[in-house]
Amino acid sequence: MSTTAGTPNTASTANVSSLASSKTIKQIGETAWKNRTVKINAELFTLTYGSIVSQLCQDYQRDFKKVNDQLFSMGYNIGIRLIEDFLARTAIPRCDNFVTTSEVISKCAFKIFLNITPAVTNWSTTKNSFSLIFNENPLSDFVELPMDASKELWYSNILCGVLKGALEMVQLDCDVYFVCDVLRGNPQTELKVKLNKILKDEMPAGED
Amino acid sequence: MAIQSVFIINKSGGLVYNHNFIEPKGAMNSNDYLILAGTLHSVFAIASQLTPKAVQISNKAEQRADTQVPYIGGIGVSENRVAPTQLGSFMGPDYFQEPFTNWNKSGLRHMVTDEFSMFVFQSLTGIKFVLVSTNNFRNNTSVSIAENILRKVYCIYSDYVMKDPFYSLDMPIRSELFDRNLRSLIESL
Repeated sequence: MSTTAGTPNTASTANVSSLASSKTIKQIGETAWKNRTVKINAELFTLTYGSIVSQLCQDYQRDFKKVNDQLFSMGYNIGIRLIEDFLARTAIPRCDNFVTTSEVISKCAFKIFLNITPAVTNWSTTKNSFSLIFNENPLSDFVELPMDASKELWYSNILCGVLKGALEMVQLDCDVYFVCDVLRGNPQTELKVKLNKILKDEMPAGED
Repeated sequence: MAIQSVFIINKSGGLVYNHNFIEPKGAMNSNDYLILAGTLHSVFAIASQLTPKAVQISNKAEQRADTQVPYIGGIGVSENRVAPTQLGSFMGPDYFQEPFTNWNKSGLRHMVTDEFSMFVFQSLTGIKFVLVSTNNFRNNTSVSIAENILRKVYCIYSDYVMKDPFYSLDMPIRSELFDRNLRSLIESL
């Protein structure tokens, strides 16, 4: 009697504390999105982003390399602040490996802020880079790139900046870039995250 | 418990926010507060370097168990009024409703003196939230309560400081919205 009651109990506490099972990460994301976060109409968000990109293209006289860079740096500035919101909302422990990090990004972070769950694939053999595949991308709804932009512009490049900034604040120095985009005529939208190094020196004191 | 002050210290040890809800007895100028914050930051770092031998030997899985902070309901949520459906970008009635992991595993968490007690909560990004209470609490429940309050302060910080375009990172916080929301959280205790 006591053993049957005891076993599931210990299993569940282990899950919560070590973030080991992916189901738990998924549950944390689902709860935070469903019960803890205020929602707005996604079209408002999509259209606001669209107007920012179109304004930038105009401002930089259709120099799309500069637009990419500008979007990236805007994203970076969002990311270094957004991480606090994410951590305050979920209070998840530090990820002990990059695989966990990838799951937290796709199942928690994207779920809470954009209500999507991009698939994680294309792991490198050393497990330090992965790809996020976006089946749906709320940023690029209602968008068609003009002819001159379709070779150079990464429309959702702000996402790369956000990820880079947010990961940097939790001491993960990463390279984040788009590999392909449906807007450019590729079969899927793929974003690559590559871990350069863990910034051990900047780790706050008090953690093991 | 009566809350005397709330401090926020950035990751390099600078004081970015302090507010006294009850004026302390001794007069302290803004420079004294800066020194206090810097000292606290250093003491925190030193405390995390000094660990009893027994804890160093015992395995890490065991240590993890006591870094869980239980959720304590009704803190900062007024019961007599109708519960708000929205707290900033958080959906009400409360900011969170489940136990959470404490990120501060080996640093300074709690300090008691004859006159007051002090609680420290550190986020994963290295920002410290400090709460000073006029009671000299010695039990674990009060630490849990304080950590629940401080996580709520962190939630308010993430909403009203991080989403303020006029705020530059690691600089002193001058935000009326943050002030007001923090005050209403502390006053509803």
